[in-house]
Amino acid sequence: MTEPERVAAGPFDDEPAGSVRLDQVPEGVVLAVAGALDLSLAPKVQRTVERAARLRPALLVIDLTEVTFLASAGMAELVRANRQLGGQVPVRVVATGRLVLRPLELTRLTDELTIHPTLADALAAG
Amino acid sequence: MIEERNGADGAIPGSDALLAALASAFTGPDGRPVPVERLVLTAGQLAGLRPVDGAGVLVPDAAQLAALLPGATAALVVLDGDGTENGDGSNGTQDAVALVTHAAVGRSHLLAAEAVAAATGGLRRAMGALRTEAAVIDALHSVGRRLTAQLDIGRIVQEATDAATTAVGAAFGAFFYNLVNQFGESYTLYTLSGVPREAFSRFPMPRNTEVFAPTFDGKGTVRSDDITADPRFGRNAPYHGMPEGHLPVRSYLAVSVISPTSGEVLGGFFFGHPEPARFTGRHEYVAEGIAGYSAIALDNARMFERERDFTRELSRSMLPETPTVPGLELVTRYLPAATGPKIGGDWFDVIRLPSGATAFVIGDVVGHGVTAATVMGQVRTAIRSYALLGLPPSEVLRHVSALLDSFTDSTFVTCFYAVQTPDDGLVYANAGHLPALLLRADGPIEQLGEALAQPLGVGSVFPERTAEFRRGDDLFLYTDGLVESRSRDVTEGLEWLLEAVAALPRPVTVESCDGLVAQLTGGTHDDDVALIYVHRTGEPG
Repeated sequence: MTEPERVAAGPFDDEPAGSVRLDQVPEGVVLAVAGALDLSLAPKVQRTVERAARLRPALLVIDLTEVTFLASAGMAELVRANRQLGGQVPVRVVATGRLVLRPLELTRLTDELTIHPTLADALAAG
Repeated sequence: MIEERNGADGAIPGSDALLAALASAFTGPDGRPVPVERLVLTAGQLAGLRPVDGAGVLVPDAAQLAALLPGATAALVVLDGDGTENGDGSNGTQDAVALVTHAAVGRSHLLAAEAVAAATGGLRRAMGALRTEAAVIDALHSVGRRLTAQLDIGRIVQEATDAATTAVGAAFGAFFYNLVNQFGESYTLYTLSGVPREAFSRFPMPRNTEVFAPTFDGKGTVRSDDITADPRFGRNAPYHGMPEGHLPVRSYLAVSVISPTSGEVLGGFFFGHPEPARFTGRHEYVAEGIAGYSAIALDNARMFERERDFTRELSRSMLPETPTVPGLELVTRYLPAATGPKIGGDWFDVIRLPSGATAFVIGDVVGHGVTAATVMGQVRTAIRSYALLGLPPSEVLRHVSALLDSFTDSTFVTCFYAVQTPDDGLVYANAGHLPALLLRADGPIEQLGEALAQPLGVGSVFPERTAEFRRGDDLFLYTDGLVESRSRDVTEGLEWLLEAVAALPRPVTVESCDGLVAQLTGGTHDDDVALIYVHRTGEPG
């Protein structure tokens, strides 16, 4: 069985679906998420993190700049990525604005994740 | 549906050169060319000529000529397009040009028409056959795509029956299929196409007679030019053939629908026609194709339904009975997602502790479906167990979080745990859950426990806080489905919630809680919602 990339149906069907992109940069890899990071998109994030891990990068940045909704299913993936790779590969999260930061604060994942305000900042940090 | 094809696509004889050549073949008795006009014929005019399949040039007889073109002495009608039926029964594009003369003519144009017909007839027939074949494949493909995109069994069977009945050119078709009810008993339903339901409603379900047995047993397709002449027909009591009043059937085609996953016979298609020899090998092929798609669609629908029922039952069975607690009025709600079939992992619990205190629990397991529901059941039981041991809130959450760490797949559970103590106090800890609301008797609303600790399965330290919880105060616990969605972020959702809760008439009721959910989610919450509303009436227990 293949997993559909987006399974949601209903009142939000007209909204653009979320997307996940993986880019290799000199510092490592950037996993950029856009749209609603909820239960529909979380499996794709998980698969993409696994793909990123196979590239054995020096750094993994999960860029949430374009995320419009961060549900707990999405946060669970951030924790999973951080714990799976954190030992060998530094994982940094780019989060800015209340849409993404407030859920991370309410769950105190700000204590666990390394959060940067911009992608440039995340790539430049030592 | 096949699209109308333009004339150029199938234009064997309709080209200008051909028309010119045929026009020059009209000669007078003296052998000299006569004037010839070209007239484009309408579909209605053409229908009167009864075109022969495969013929590119028609020669109207005297009567047809008089009716169609009064005053003409001779005419040839040149057809453009192949004139064969499309697979869906409609006629293909059929443009026609009549070459008409009013002069006296000999027979040379007739010879020319015969020559053209002889030269192009085979090609036209071959093209027609190919086009029909393509239409069959198109139709099969589009039926398959429609069917396998469906999860509603009722619609699948009706669409499949209609499509198959049309595709095989049957006078009527029926689809008998087996379902299993919630008690595990199998029963049979049917849909019909091409005939009103009343025509069959007084007949019993077909039994496993010798005619039907191969289909219900999945032993292969049965196709008969005349089923009444089949040795298997009419051998079984009580009807010895068809019951009185049954629609007449000579041509018969029956195809089993077999589950690709279990090999089980899910049902069978039956097609009938009152005339003999109506069903061909092609019809059999199409019917088998549709039966194959139907089997996949039914399999999907049955599995989908099974999971949905199972999850719903599981999550319903795990909802606790809310105990009666002296001195408290409790409203607890669990509302599955209003849109989408999924069940989430939200839960609530109210536990009377041995110490005389009462614990309130609200939580949310990430995810939907069976996995989330089973994790929820385990977490709920674990919290209940640690709670009944009398552990303080921070210890209860710490133990459960450690327990979750031992699960093979990582889990992420938010949970607010509060204990109302007999001395007008509230002790609570919060594992990544949304803040609780404490509504003071005299109006103000306080948010409790915002961002106190990480979720269960992530964090390991869960600090405790206390608050006063006096007579006339209310405590409100809820899950994120109430305040956040793709179209409303949690900050905004919390503001709305505070406003809406402040406006609720107190003490709240089941109805006003449901009203609150409807108001905040617009009745379209795509996540489940659980909530506990506690009102301290006054008298301690």
